[in-house]
Amino acid sequence: MSRVWLPCGDYHQRYTEDQGWWQTNVIKGKMIFLLLIVFVVFPLILDEYWIGVANMVGYTALGALGVQLLIGYAGLITLGHAAFIAVGAYTSTLLILKFPWPEFILNLGLAYPISILVAAIVAGLWSVLFGLPSARVKGFYLILTTMAAQFITVDFILTQYVSKIGGRGQAFSLPPGTIKIGPWAMETDLQVYFVMITLLTLTIIMMANLLRSRVGRAWIAIRDNDIAAETLGINIIWYKLLNFFVAGFIGGIAGAFWVCNCAALSPEHFPWFLSLWLVGVILIGGAGIDGAIFGSIFMVVIMELLQMASIPLGEHYPRILFDFAFIKEMAFGLAICAFLIYEPRGLSYRWWQIKNYFNLWPFSY
Amino acid sequence: MELFFMTLTTGIMVGGIYALVALGWVLIFKCSGVLNLAMGELTLIGAYVTLSFYSMGVPFVLSILCTLIIGIVLGILIERIFLDKLIGEPILAVIMVTVGLSFFLKGLVGFIWGTDTRVFEPAIFSLKPFTIGFLKISIVYFWSFVLAIVLFLVFVAFFKYTRWGLSMQATADDETAALSLGVSARFVYAASWAIAFMAAGVGGALLGNINGVNISIGYLGLLVLPAVVLGGLNSVPGAIVGGLTIGILQNFAGTYLDGFFPGGVKEIFPFAFMAVFLLFKPYGLWGWIKIERM
Repeated sequence: MSRVWLPCGDYHQRYTEDQGWWQTNVIKGKMIFLLLIVFVVFPLILDEYWIGVANMVGYTALGALGVQLLIGYAGLITLGHAAFIAVGAYTSTLLILKFPWPEFILNLGLAYPISILVAAIVAGLWSVLFGLPSARVKGFYLILTTMAAQFITVDFILTQYVSKIGGRGQAFSLPPGTIKIGPWAMETDLQVYFVMITLLTLTIIMMANLLRSRVGRAWIAIRDNDIAAETLGINIIWYKLLNFFVAGFIGGIAGAFWVCNCAALSPEHFPWFLSLWLVGVILIGGAGIDGAIFGSIFMVVIMELLQMASIPLGEHYPRILFDFAFIKEMAFGLAICAFLIYEPRGLSYRWWQIKNYFNLWPFSY
Repeated sequence: MELFFMTLTTGIMVGGIYALVALGWVLIFKCSGVLNLAMGELTLIGAYVTLSFYSMGVPFVLSILCTLIIGIVLGILIERIFLDKLIGEPILAVIMVTVGLSFFLKGLVGFIWGTDTRVFEPAIFSLKPFTIGFLKISIVYFWSFVLAIVLFLVFVAFFKYTRWGLSMQATADDETAALSLGVSARFVYAASWAIAFMAAGVGGALLGNINGVNISIGYLGLLVLPAVVLGGLNSVPGAIVGGLTIGILQNFAGTYLDGFFPGGVKEIFPFAFMAVFLLFKPYGLWGWIKIERM
C-alpha cells in the first residue's frame, strides 16, 4: 500500500525498476527538495521553540520507526519498546561518562558517535533476548513478554541497579560540553536538531533499504501468514529475531539521541506510557515509514497546540494548568480510540489517496 | 517457619482479590474475545467511587452496592460506545482501544480526584490483627478475602443457575450456535463488561482498604495479566488458581528474594515469572491450545 501508483503514461520496463529507490525523476526531485527543506530551510526559519518541538518529533519518529518495523512489518506486537530506547540511552551515557576513552578520540570528539553505535548494538541484543519467546508464542502472549521486558528493564534493572552506579542518586547528570561530535559540543537546540535530522535520515535510508531486500520481503511474508512463510522456506525464527534486533537497534539510536537532548538522564524518561505512546503514534500514522513520521508529527504538534491552548484557558479555569498531564492522557486515549474506530488506516492512507489523485489526474480510472 | 506461614497467608489473602479481578478479565475474554488492558483503570474507578460514597457518610456495604450499580452502568456504556464497533477487528486494534480507554479513564480519575493518597475515614476494619495459633492475620486482609470469595461464589452461581449466566456461557462456548438459539450476543457482551466492571470495582475498593486509595491501584490491572496467563486465558478456575498463585509468589518474592535483589523485586517478580512461564507453557494451565492450519 505504501507503494505509490505511477503517473499516467509512466510505466516500468524491468523488474529492477519496480524495486527502484526512486521510481521516477519527479519523485527523486521531490525527495531532494524535502531533504533541502529539513536540512536548510527549517533551521533558518524556525525559532528556538519550534526547533525544540522538531527535536521531540524526531525522537518520537526514531522510536516509532522501530515499533513500525516490529508491528507494521513483522506483525510482532510490542508494548515494551521504551525498554530498548532506555537501554540505548543508558549504554550511551555510561560509555560517555565512565569509559576510559583514549585521549585522541576525546580530542577528535568521536566518543559520542561511537557510543551511539555501541548503544544501538547493545539495545538490539537486549531486544533479541526478549524476542526469544516469539519463537514459541505470538499475538497476545508476545505482548505480555514485551510488557515484561518493559517492567524488568526499566522499573527493575535500570531503576534499582544501573541508576545507582556512581552513587549520585537517581539521575545521571550530563554537564554541558560532555557530549561532543567532532569540534561541536551539543549546547543549543539547533545543534541537536542537526544530530536528530542526520540520524533520522540515516535510519530511514537503512530501514527503507532493508525493506526492499530479501529480508524485508521475508518479514512481510511472516506478517501476512507465518505458516505459509515457513512452507516457503523462510526461517521464521531467524527472521523474527533479526526483526527484533533491527527494531532494538533503531530504538538504541533513539535512546542515544535522547541523551544529547537532555541535561540529565533518569529512568522516569522511559515509562510504560512511552511504549504505549509509540504504538499509538504508528496507529494514528498508519502503515509504512511515512506512517511513523506522520504519526509523530501529528501527535507531538497536537500536544503542543493543546498546551498552548491551555494557557489562555488557564486564566479563566486555573485547574486546566495544574492538571494538564491528565488532560494530555485523556486526549491521547480518546485520539487512539477515535482513530481506531473511525480512521483505522491512519493518516498515511489519506496521504496516499491525495498523492494518487494528483498522480493519476486527469484519468483516475 | 512462622515467617513462611505468615507470608503464605498474606499471599492467599491478597491473591483472593487478584483472583476476583482476574475473573472479570477472563469473563470479558471468554464472552467477547477482547483482551482488556484497561482492567486496572476499572479497579481504580471502583476504589474511588466507593471512597466517595463512603466519605459522604454512606455505610461501607451500601457504598459497595452503589459501586456495583455504577459499575454496571459504566461497563455497558463503555462496551456500547467503544468496543461494540470493534468485534472481529485484528487483535492489535482491540487491545489498543482498551489501552486508549485506560489512558482516558486514568486521566479522568486524576482530573476528578487528584493524585493524593486517600484513606477510608473512619477506618472500616480495625487495625488490630487477630491470631489463630501462631498466625497473625490482619482483619482487613481477612474480610477482603472473605468478601472476594463470597462475590466469587455469587458469580459462579450466576453462571450456573440463571438464564442470563447460561446464555453467557453458551456464547463463550460457540457464538454462532448461541445466536441461532436466540441469545443476543450484544446483550452478552454488555453483560460481560458490566460484570467485569463490578468485579474490578470491588477488587479496587478492597485493595484501597489495605493500602489507601491512589493512582497506583491501577497497577492491579497489570498484575492480573500474569494471573490469567498462568491459569489459561479462557478458564475461570484458572483465573482463581492463577490469582492465588500470583499473590503467594509475589509475597514470597518480597520476603525471601528481597535480600538478594534489593529494591522492587516484589513488583517485578510476577512479570519475570510470566515471561519464563510463557516460554515453557504458553497456553497456561487450562487454556485452550490453538492449533493453526493454513
